[in-house]
Amino acid sequence: MNPATHPVSPQDIMAFLDTETFGKEALRVENHMRQCVECTALAAHLCGTSAMLAEWTVPPIPQHVEDAVLAAAASVNASRTNPKASRTTPLTFRNWRLWTIAGSGAAAAILGLVAVAVSLEYHRRPDLNTLPQTQTAAETDARSASIGGAMQADALKPAPPPSQTARYSSANDTTPAAPQAAVMIARTVALGIQVKDYAPARTALDAILARHRGYAASLTLNTPENDARTFTASLRVPASELDAALRELRQLGRVQTETQSGEEVSQQHADLAARLHNARETEARLLAILQQRTGKVDEVLDVEEKISDVRGEIETMEAEQQELEHRVAFASIDLQLTEEYRAQLGTRTPPVSTRMHNAFVAGLGHASATLLSLALFAEEFGPAILIWLAIAALPVWIVWRRYRRALLRA
Amino acid sequence: MTDETNIANQASDPVLLNARHPASDEEWMQEFQQGSAEGFSILFDRYKQPVFAFFRRRIVDRAAAEELAQETFLALLRAQSRYRPDRLFRVYLYAIAYKILNRYRRKTAFRAAFLGMPDEHIEPSTNPSVETDLAIREAVRKLDAIDREILLLRQFDLLSYAEIAEVLELPVNTVRSRLFRARAALRTLLESSPRPTIAPLRAQEQL
Repeated sequence: MNPATHPVSPQDIMAFLDTETFGKEALRVENHMRQCVECTALAAHLCGTSAMLAEWTVPPIPQHVEDAVLAAAASVNASRTNPKASRTTPLTFRNWRLWTIAGSGAAAAILGLVAVAVSLEYHRRPDLNTLPQTQTAAETDARSASIGGAMQADALKPAPPPSQTARYSSANDTTPAAPQAAVMIARTVALGIQVKDYAPARTALDAILARHRGYAASLTLNTPENDARTFTASLRVPASELDAALRELRQLGRVQTETQSGEEVSQQHADLAARLHNARETEARLLAILQQRTGKVDEVLDVEEKISDVRGEIETMEAEQQELEHRVAFASIDLQLTEEYRAQLGTRTPPVSTRMHNAFVAGLGHASATLLSLALFAEEFGPAILIWLAIAALPVWIVWRRYRRALLRA
Repeated sequence: MTDETNIANQASDPVLLNARHPASDEEWMQEFQQGSAEGFSILFDRYKQPVFAFFRRRIVDRAAAEELAQETFLALLRAQSRYRPDRLFRVYLYAIAYKILNRYRRKTAFRAAFLGMPDEHIEPSTNPSVETDLAIREAVRKLDAIDREILLLRQFDLLSYAEIAEVLELPVNTVRSRLFRARAALRTLLESSPRPTIAPLRAQEQL
């Protein structure tokens, strides 16, 4: 329609017929329709369509539907008047169900957090958890007196002192297959102790080592900010002094963890001694050949080379034997001293600007790490995901198309 | 139109019912929220037939239409506490019905996507009224989905443009333009319909 000759649009006419225009607007449309034959015809068209649609009738609602709804309404009213019954009404039950779901969700979340915390704690102390036996501090305190005696009595019996095992390290030993007088056991102890002050505990530790003729193989002191100091040491004490040294070490503070283990190395030592004996005999025979017989220069050089090889093997085995005997002679103590942490007021903390700068830098680092992880994930799994998408695309498209068609028909 | 259908349409006409019960729907709904059993009874009497017709005109399966109408009133019972008096009850009820209808459509379409389309063909009856119904139903069915909803809500449920916009969550101007488009399209479809019962209507209109 031309706006110049028809100041009202067809939609305005429709709205007028639907009584959706009021006041001056309705008057304007009505006046125009009186003068315009075209718009009157349009109005007749619209009315005709409505008249056609009015022929579409619907039968009355079935009685059973009415009965069912009214019964449900009566049930709701009954539950209002009777508070006990209201507990079983759908509305109340729904609330109760929501609370149950919320409670279950919260419990599941708490359980998940606990599981994560336990897992983190487990991974934070791998050195103690990988040991074969771990005792709680209370158990350790209660059983500290009996541990040494019980272990001495059976499998973890202390190995013979260095003087008894000296014969194994003798270079002139010619009876490796002879029955052994004692079982050779390499003992290892892991001890975690919480001390009040680090300094006196360290002094006492040095004194204990000196008293029992032990030494420290390694020492590590960790002093984190706003946290307790920890001191880790790998100690060696003569096997015969181990129990006495442990008793004194336990006096340093409260024992948190204690683990003892023993490795029997008798067979390993015997095998080594036999191989060493054979190697020495071979060396002796080769030396005799070299001294008693003459031959070509090549043959002489060949024998000397073999003597050199055998000598190298002998020295390697001797070193292994000495290390094994040292492990038996000296027990190993992995000691961890943890100082009780006391928070202090007025501790020196970095200024806010520094902390913000550090946080910003850390944030950038985390963001870049996240992006890198995403890129790596896409690189690693992207091709496989694309393949699966390509495989699934056709059936999904077919189902989606059928779904859309059915939705349009419904 | 049969006598039974006429009686049903008159008995459920909200205008006539409002004449018998001068209180507005919103007031009756508030009465019902405050514990009056009569409130729901009056509202049910007013809207049981419009709601049933709402589903019956949109769904071929009669049993499904009955079930959905029942479900709409049960949903109203459950959600009575969430009704706000500042909202028109009619819009609130039709919004519930429309949500239930859409849920049914999605469910049916999902089922059809995997199990195939159900046979919805209806055998033509010798009754001329049913014949006309089928022709109109087929024509309406060919309209765009949103246009169809707007047309039906306006034509049979007598909702205003603003109320339709609220139920369908569309701008009022969109409702107006789409309604005009739907009427024009329907007109074309009905005129091209081969049904013999449409022809007299056309002749009557020209007179």
